[in-house]
Amino acid sequence: MLIAVVVAFPLYWMVLSAFKPASEVQSSNPRPWTLNPSLDAFRPVFDHQDFGRYFLNSLLVAGTVVVASALIAFLAATAVTRFKFKMRTTVLIMFLVAQMVPVEALTIPMFFLMRDLGDSVPGIGLNTLGSLILSHIAFSLPFAIWMLRGFVKAVPESLEEAAYLDGASRTRFLWQILFPLVLPGLIATSVFSFISTWNDFLFAKSFIISATENSMLPMALLVFFKDEGNDWGGIMAASTIMTIPVLVFFVLAQRRLVSGLGGVVKD
Amino acid sequence: MSAVAKGGRRGGLGASRWTPWLYLAPALIVLAALLVYPIYQLGLISFLEYTQAQVSGGEPATFQGFANYTELFSDRQFWEVLVATLVFAAVCVLSTLVVGCGLAVLLTRIRAVSRLALMLAALGAWATQAITGSTVLVFLFDPDFGPVNKMLVWVGLSGFEDFSWTYDRYSAFALVLFEVVWCSFPLVMVTVYAGIKAIPGEVLEAASLDGASNWRVWRSVMAPMLRPILVVVTIQPIIWDFKVFTQIYVMTNGGGIAGQNLVLNVYAYQKAFASSQYSLGSAIGIVMLLILLAVTLIYLRLLRRQGEEL
Amino acid sequence: MNVFARMAAPVAALVAAGLTATACAPSTSDNEAKKDDQSGTLCVWLFQEVDNDPKKKVVDQAVADFRGKHKDVDVDVTYIPINTRAEKIKAAFNDPESAPDLIEYGNTDTAGYVQDGGLADISEEFASWPQSKDTDATAKESLTVKGKTYGSPLFVGVRALYYRTDVFKDLGLKPPTTQEELVNTAEKIRAEPKDLYGLAVGGAYTYGAMPFLWSNGGELATEKDGTYRSTIDSAQSQAGIKAYTALFGDQNCPANKCAEMGGNNTVETFASGKAGMAIAGNFNHPAIEASKVKGKYAVVPLPGKKAGEIAPAFAGGNNIGLLKSSSHRTLGLALMQSLTSKKTQGALFDAMGFLPTYTDVRKEAAAREPFAEPFVKTLDVAKFVPASPGWAAIDAVLVLPTMFQQIVSGRKDVDAAANEARKKMDAAFTEAG
Repeated sequence: MLIAVVVAFPLYWMVLSAFKPASEVQSSNPRPWTLNPSLDAFRPVFDHQDFGRYFLNSLLVAGTVVVASALIAFLAATAVTRFKFKMRTTVLIMFLVAQMVPVEALTIPMFFLMRDLGDSVPGIGLNTLGSLILSHIAFSLPFAIWMLRGFVKAVPESLEEAAYLDGASRTRFLWQILFPLVLPGLIATSVFSFISTWNDFLFAKSFIISATENSMLPMALLVFFKDEGNDWGGIMAASTIMTIPVLVFFVLAQRRLVSGLGGVVKD
Repeated sequence: MSAVAKGGRRGGLGASRWTPWLYLAPALIVLAALLVYPIYQLGLISFLEYTQAQVSGGEPATFQGFANYTELFSDRQFWEVLVATLVFAAVCVLSTLVVGCGLAVLLTRIRAVSRLALMLAALGAWATQAITGSTVLVFLFDPDFGPVNKMLVWVGLSGFEDFSWTYDRYSAFALVLFEVVWCSFPLVMVTVYAGIKAIPGEVLEAASLDGASNWRVWRSVMAPMLRPILVVVTIQPIIWDFKVFTQIYVMTNGGGIAGQNLVLNVYAYQKAFASSQYSLGSAIGIVMLLILLAVTLIYLRLLRRQGEEL
Repeated sequence: MNVFARMAAPVAALVAAGLTATACAPSTSDNEAKKDDQSGTLCVWLFQEVDNDPKKKVVDQAVADFRGKHKDVDVDVTYIPINTRAEKIKAAFNDPESAPDLIEYGNTDTAGYVQDGGLADISEEFASWPQSKDTDATAKESLTVKGKTYGSPLFVGVRALYYRTDVFKDLGLKPPTTQEELVNTAEKIRAEPKDLYGLAVGGAYTYGAMPFLWSNGGELATEKDGTYRSTIDSAQSQAGIKAYTALFGDQNCPANKCAEMGGNNTVETFASGKAGMAIAGNFNHPAIEASKVKGKYAVVPLPGKKAGEIAPAFAGGNNIGLLKSSSHRTLGLALMQSLTSKKTQGALFDAMGFLPTYTDVRKEAAAREPFAEPFVKTLDVAKFVPASPGWAAIDAVLVLPTMFQQIVSGRKDVDAAANEARKKMDAAFTEAG
């Protein structure tokens, strides 16, 4: 319980600072409570920006990324666990390689890739949500595949044998038998892709240049970091608003998450 | 366990040796286009003179050979930062794993209410933006305004009245370590906890009946069963912590007093990206890639030697 | 396999298309404007302030004035977050299709953006504008690179000395008039049992330290034939560095807390009532006004070496520039003129407190709003950083903060630290060409 308090304390402080009036946020006598809760800090978050629009954009991008990367990762994980082939290990490690480069370095070539893609394919060039979706799929795939490997592995081989004996085709086995069995794992894995996409602003600020209507939620947070002094109240308020949906999602998925993740060890 | 039918099944239902590649195709295509190709470009850029002026067409790009790498390797600060990064990342990974696994075991031992509280707290930490988490922590540990020092004094520890966490190199690193662990242990904890839950109860019961200590139960019963999970939750923090940026940048004000808390990614940012020296930044990126690749390969090699199959 | 096939085909097509479109060499952009359209839509990027409405009103008026003369031209103003301006503006240089015609930019970025090939040279037009002769010299310097003009100044910002009137009254202190008095006053405040810092200073507060350097006759660098050489280790510069770093310590601002502070931290320290004095800008006024020291502070120019002297301060501020890729040069410049006119700047001061760049408009502003006076006075002696893209690199690698912190934390003496900083600065200037 004490540990829970320690872990949650920074979080509590964030929410608290969001509700404190400006003069109390930085005072030499910090109190772990406030007697004058105020919504002042929240006002600029909603007032000066198209917050609802950003919210929907983030939701759309994160949702698409979660579904697409889950499907792609499922296929890939099946390939690397239930087949033996040359270069299997190489492929697995290659999945990780991209994550090893600092993203700042990668955004430059990716920027030009997106710009040129956009010239030939509408919908995924610069300034589109498509560019964000594609990049996030690419960056959440490696982890998803590595996680899913365990789940796919945990499905007994005997089940597969039985399915084929019953005359099921490979495709049928894949989608009607293996897929539902791995589904809890997929949900668990999705949580990771969701959080990383939801919280990212690096791609958003690199690729969305002139189309502000396609901006993402974290950009609304960045507005409060300024050269001549950060607006702490605003930062905390925006962070609070951003964290809440994820937290709600977590609480709902908590049980599933645990049982899903546990699937890896079942033998 | 997965020794069955590796060969036999192949011929059976129209599956050929191309089947796995077919399944892999979507992933490979996406990754080739969005990761491999940019990395190839990155390698190319690292051999050029490539600043913002070249990018926006103000000046032509010229081939520099290994000049960017020579510049990097001859900078004494680069080596100091590299060593600091390696040590710091190692400590972060180990702490994350220890805390995550420890709390996961604890989770299985406590009452439902406490468990829920800890779980929610951890999930909250996980969902928080690194930039926000770092900012809040700086607040909490501020020598003038933060409640942490006041609490430490209240508990009776002397010397914390005016203690500045970020002045000393090691306490500053410790503070950042705390943030890194805070936001990355939940992944380990939740995953490992789920794994433990899935271990059949009898196995653990049998072990404790045999009078094995907690540590022994973990070492010889749980850890081996959890290995597939542990591989993933080790490799990912290695990659993340080696590239730690936001926490250092925010908490130590861009690398600490006189650069004492610089890590490679922050160094790369300041040296290269903030002033648009993309070619130098690409060279640093490639070096980081090679180091991480080496670390990962060594780790996997070690695993394989212990009999774990990928 | 159907699902898979359906999914893979389009992806493959996209990728193939992408690969053919990108050649093997890393990309560059072609930024030269091809035409000078006399109609269409002008796009403008301005910085988004946290309280943006007053700024928007002023800008809308300036745009309306412009459209009064150019009826068939549309103007699309976008407010971009300050925090992501670097990425956005660089992206605009890289992708002319997303680029606006006019941008607001921080004046320390001028040289870098010019080297990047992003800003258009508007020397001739600027010189011909009737109002531009009243633009003050420092503001003009901040948009001049190698003798050419790259924009029109929008506003300037400058720092002065904020002090706590209540603390001064309790201790019977008077606002300092020389640098020596400043130090003495600071130590007296610190010596009181209130646990206040005398003058809040920061090891990473470059622009807070500059006045000390400059008032002691030091310079960051000198220009000769278009190239800069650092003079940070000259005797005068070192005297200034010594004066600033001497403020760190238990007698004023303890090194273990103040060494790492940047400008924002010192201002926050003052705003939270932890310091008797601080060096802060006119742009910090709203934040301090919203804090708990509201009504308990006043501002004077930062004193120089001798009584009656004002220590030169860094003149920050923003300019409006025309992008090289703009296809509306004539119209863009007309709009720029309207956005940075005397009328607009006067209104911007009233709305946001941004100081005008025209000397006459500034005097009127100070007369309307006494708060602005110490800043306006300081601006008469304000200075600017080297107009070299090397400055951006020096700033990014924290050369000067590192120097101050090395001294303050006792790692190096003034001479050794300044010497090291000079070498780093010269390397950056040389690299920048």
